[in-house]
Amino acid sequence: MTRRSAHASTNQMLERTRDMGLKTIFDRYDAQQPQCGFGMQGVCCQLCSHGPCRITPKSPRAICGATADTIVARNFLKLEVHGAAAYSHHLEEVAKTLKATAEGKTPFTIGDEGKLKEVCKAVGIKGNSTKELAIALSDVILNELRKGSDDPLALVKIFAPKTRLEAWEKLGLIPGGVHSEIRDALTKTMSNITTDPVDLLLTTLRLAIATGYMGLVGTITLQDILLGTPQISEANADLGEIDPKKVNILAHGHVPLMATAVLQAAQTPEMIKLAKAAGAEGIDVLGSMCTGQELLQRSGHSAKGMGAQMGNWLAQEYIVATGAIDLVMMDMNCSIPGLKEVADRFHTELVSVDSILRMAGVDKNVDYAPEKAAEQAKELITMAIETYKKRGNDIVIPKNKAKGVVGFGVESILGALGGSLDPLLDVIKKGLIKGAVAVVGCTNNRNGHDSAGLQLMEELIKKDILVISAGCMSSAAQIEGMQDPVSAAKAGPGLRAVCEKLSIPPVLSFGSCVDIGRIGVLVTALADALNVDPSQLPVAASAPEYLEQKAVADGVFAVAFGLLTHLGPVPPVTGSPLVTQILTQDVEGLTGGKVLVELDMVKAADAIEAHIMTKRQGLGI
Amino acid sequence: MKYVIIGSSAAGSSAVETLRKLDKESTITVISEEANLRPYSRCLLSDYIAGEIEEDGLAFKSADFFEKHNVETIFSVRAVRIDGEAKEVHLSNNEKVPYDKLLLATGSVNFVPPIKGVDSKGVFGLRSLEEARQIRNYTQKVRRALVLGGGLVGCETAYALYRTGIEVTVVEMASRLLPVQMDERASEILKSDMECEGIRVITGIGVQEIIPTGFWARLFGKPGKGVQLTNGERLKADMIVLAAGTRPAVGLLQEHNPGIQINHGILVNKKMETTYPDIYAAGDVAESIDTLTGKRSLSPIWPNAIIQGKVAASCMAGRPVDLAQQIAMQNACEFREVPTISIGQVEATEKEDQVLETYRPQERIYRKIVLRHGKVRGLLFMGDIRGAGLIGSLIRTQRDVTSIKELLLHPEISWAHVADQ
Amino acid sequence: MRKEVMIDASKCNGCLSCTVACSAAHIPSGDPLEALLTGEPSRIAVYSVHGKAVPITCRHCDEPACVNACMAGAMQKNAESGRVKNENTGHDCIGCWMCVMACPYGVINQREKEGRSVAVKCDGCVGRSVPACVESCPNGALTYGPVNEYAETKQRQAAASQVA
Ligand SMILES: Cc1cc2nc3c(=O)[nH]c(=O)nc-3n(C[C@H](O)[C@H](O)[C@H](O)COP(=O)(O)OP(=O)(O)OC[C@H]3O[C@@H](n4cnc5c(N)ncnc54)[C@H](O)[C@@H]3O)c2cc1C
Ligand code: SF4
Ligand code: SF4
Repeated sequence: MTRRSAHASTNQMLERTRDMGLKTIFDRYDAQQPQCGFGMQGVCCQLCSHGPCRITPKSPRAICGATADTIVARNFLKLEVHGAAAYSHHLEEVAKTLKATAEGKTPFTIGDEGKLKEVCKAVGIKGNSTKELAIALSDVILNELRKGSDDPLALVKIFAPKTRLEAWEKLGLIPGGVHSEIRDALTKTMSNITTDPVDLLLTTLRLAIATGYMGLVGTITLQDILLGTPQISEANADLGEIDPKKVNILAHGHVPLMATAVLQAAQTPEMIKLAKAAGAEGIDVLGSMCTGQELLQRSGHSAKGMGAQMGNWLAQEYIVATGAIDLVMMDMNCSIPGLKEVADRFHTELVSVDSILRMAGVDKNVDYAPEKAAEQAKELITMAIETYKKRGNDIVIPKNKAKGVVGFGVESILGALGGSLDPLLDVIKKGLIKGAVAVVGCTNNRNGHDSAGLQLMEELIKKDILVISAGCMSSAAQIEGMQDPVSAAKAGPGLRAVCEKLSIPPVLSFGSCVDIGRIGVLVTALADALNVDPSQLPVAASAPEYLEQKAVADGVFAVAFGLLTHLGPVPPVTGSPLVTQILTQDVEGLTGGKVLVELDMVKAADAIEAHIMTKRQGLGI
Repeated sequence: MKYVIIGSSAAGSSAVETLRKLDKESTITVISEEANLRPYSRCLLSDYIAGEIEEDGLAFKSADFFEKHNVETIFSVRAVRIDGEAKEVHLSNNEKVPYDKLLLATGSVNFVPPIKGVDSKGVFGLRSLEEARQIRNYTQKVRRALVLGGGLVGCETAYALYRTGIEVTVVEMASRLLPVQMDERASEILKSDMECEGIRVITGIGVQEIIPTGFWARLFGKPGKGVQLTNGERLKADMIVLAAGTRPAVGLLQEHNPGIQINHGILVNKKMETTYPDIYAAGDVAESIDTLTGKRSLSPIWPNAIIQGKVAASCMAGRPVDLAQQIAMQNACEFREVPTISIGQVEATEKEDQVLETYRPQERIYRKIVLRHGKVRGLLFMGDIRGAGLIGSLIRTQRDVTSIKELLLHPEISWAHVADQ
Repeated sequence: MRKEVMIDASKCNGCLSCTVACSAAHIPSGDPLEALLTGEPSRIAVYSVHGKAVPITCRHCDEPACVNACMAGAMQKNAESGRVKNENTGHDCIGCWMCVMACPYGVINQREKEGRSVAVKCDGCVGRSVPACVESCPNGALTYGPVNEYAETKQRQAAASQVA
């Protein structure tokens, strides 16, 4: 009842909304308490009209006879299907844009030809020109998305470590086309088709692998080719960075395509002139959530001129509550319905820029189409300028500002280390850095907005464990200055020394949540360099505040990949002892990975450290 | 045994119930100067004036209450004297009623301010049903009313008169309305709400004189009557309701007192015994110890009258119990659909007092709690009264709440949170 | 012996079945969907105490503070059944909120009924052999049985200790 954000700026805005009589996510969270234990345990089934059924001591089976194990496993797979579908939508948008760009139909230019060539070579695409290669690669990816589930995914074969492939093959987990996998999984979860909980769970692994190599790795690879591979650069964050004298456009969501087009157009004299005519000093494109992270990490090239990062998922209503945001361009997922209520209290215009997003009350939709992106960008900016004119005086901008370094990834790390991962491996071998943990995924009100995530990061770096952040957790760290190299002072002596020597922070920003793929690429590179399986590395993954269904797919992928995967909020599986045991124990025998659920972040850090130490021992370091 | 009770209202009737429960045999006699055949609730008189309920709706006990409890009633007669030695109550009809145990449940009387003209026509108090009837009748004939006093009864009456369709002005001598039950902000909210409805509120100014019809015409050359305020302003008013507070009804002890100590009210101990043997007092007329201040005080509110009546009756019937955890200042009211509850100390008075508050004018919500040394001293909830009962019990029990301090203002606080601390 | 609703908070998982059943039991049709649609209030509440669900409803006290406080005579304790209620007692609730102020358990709420604001609280499901909330609880957190001092203490202890 007294939950607060970990960020001063958010709390200030929360108070402001309360004073205005606006109900926002913290209030709605309170109003939902207590939450139903059946739902929390995953034993509620609403599939058929006999239902809803729930498993209780009095009624151990549903009306159809389904057990808690079946219902829990089925619900869990359904959650993951959502995540997988959303990721494949993202990939499809990017692939189509790459193709249209190669054909010269978009405002973009190919951002990383080197990567294009490299990937084409790996995939076996031949071609003379960049254009030919890009078109062919896009077609291959689009085909991979759509082909049958009996036709193994090429990207898995090409990118997965050999040892992983062997493990997966044995279990029949090499997936086919993503859309077909989604269809199969969804079909299985219909009432009374697949009711075997073990098969349902194996299906989650298979779907996760499809998602991992297409939705994650595939998407980031194409985005890098299209928009450029991230480079290490400086970034600003938090609400104090809002300039009330500018027209402010908030790029909010996950897919950075329209946002990049808008950002580029906003810097044209034509648009600036328009803004000035309206009385503004200029136009700022501000980042929110993962779209913001995508722009930030490319602010050295395709996203030059990018404003600051405002915050993550939970902050969206509070960003708008400053009263200084003129337009929110919402792409793909994570625009919450509550945003509309806050926007309506001010002048802020909400616009969907993705055909799959429709929000009640939002009637302006500028659905991104690669071929029309240039025009659409101008249209959006013009709308923002028009709204700016209606902006009132009720503006409050918190003073909080933060800075940090962003743009990490295999390529930029290699660049910084002089072309080889050896220096990194060296400090790991020497024990200066014990290991690395990807602290990724969402933010969650359950533990008070970023509090758990930040606590975990602090605990880990104290133990000389390098933290790699992505998604909402990356914003969390940015705003609290943990991606600022000076925060090395908070790390243990070994990690601190390494950070200070390289002028890097102890929490590396790997970008958005889809950039979890980038972390997978790094882990693969480390495994290759050491000639071991990823499950043998002193690494782990954590989603301390996981929230939605894409994160479920990410988490299961990490388990399939062989990683210890820590979750903060308890996933809705505890109603089935069998499913719980498989996810937290038995699956380790199959993939090497497993789920660790721990709500206490100090204990979680201890458990992760213990795991890392075991892995170090196994490697003899 | 012969029990005699003077007063048949809250304290008197609850004493009747308890006595009869504990003692089926003895005689119980109830004396009341009112002609009320069945106990009615004074607190509802304003709704009656407004025409929203009828006389039947005022009753808080069944019509056969006295028969059912086998009570001998002496109504429309005043007790005028108590002969402690002879153990007799003398009545205004010159009869004498002997008693073994006597309960004084005489309540309060309306305070009549010493202003010229208070006894003229069209000037009313609001304490009894009879007065309410007169007011209700009178409202049919008038256009403008003035309520003298902006306390709880004054505000209730003002709204009630207003609801009958006449113009109403409230004049309060203090700087704000409900100065006892509310803090400055709450008073301000109440005042602006009243003004929004169309009730005129004048604070910080008193009434100098009530000018009756003839005089008014002579003075101002126009028919009508009205008041002159202390600032010289003259207000026209066809009727005036005096709501300037109440005083304990100790009139029958004024001429002859067998030896009952009186301060403001009749002093009683925890067993509701007065300082004279076999005579008890309960309700508005009694002065008892307040849990919060530890001091003697009047507690002229309904629930305390009921509880005191029960305690007194129990002690009279030979089952002694103690009056426990009583707070004199507790009130619930609702004006203009804004419910308000205030209990105990609603303002910080000492250096160490700490105030917690939520004020959300848009939602018309104001919640405030006063703490001292980790214990709740008082609450004032306006607009959203959830949790008032629970916090009220924390005030009464003076339980330490340090560990749940940040939950106290939350409307969803429950006693499980308290039990859990 | 008088029967009472017993609460074992340790068994409650916050499903709110009891609240739906309570609402349904207080409309003529008894239909839960209709109760939800018409906003019929529940007279039992399930609170979240540090994340643990704890059901709370009226204790039908022996010395009910709410009855003492009620200045309309609406709130009464029935001598035979031991139930404390403010509906159909021969006196109408007038919405003065004195009972809300008085109840130390905070189990009396406000509601709109026939255009008026009135107090609403557990009526002990008069007329039913087992209260609706008890009947609906799938977890055995609510039971209905005779009160004796032992049970009462135990239940208080349980409520206090289980809300970890
Ligand atoms: C308009 C109005 C609104 C109120 N609203 C509220 C409210 O919202 N909340 C609240 O808590 N309280 C309220 N009160 C106060 C509440 O009514 C009293 O606290 C309560 O009635 C006290 O009960 P009692 O039995 O002590 O005395 P009373 O109700 O005053 O009854 C005393 C009785 O004794 C009789 N009597 C007195 N002297 C003699 C005598 N010598 N011989 C014979 N009979 C005698 C009187 O005629 C009277 O009938 C309100 C009061 C009024 C007038
Ligand atoms: S409503 Fe409160 S005071 Fe009244 S009987 Fe129930 S628990 Fe006791
Ligand atoms: S029905 Fe039972 S388990 Fe569900 S909320 Fe109510 S008391 Fe708790």
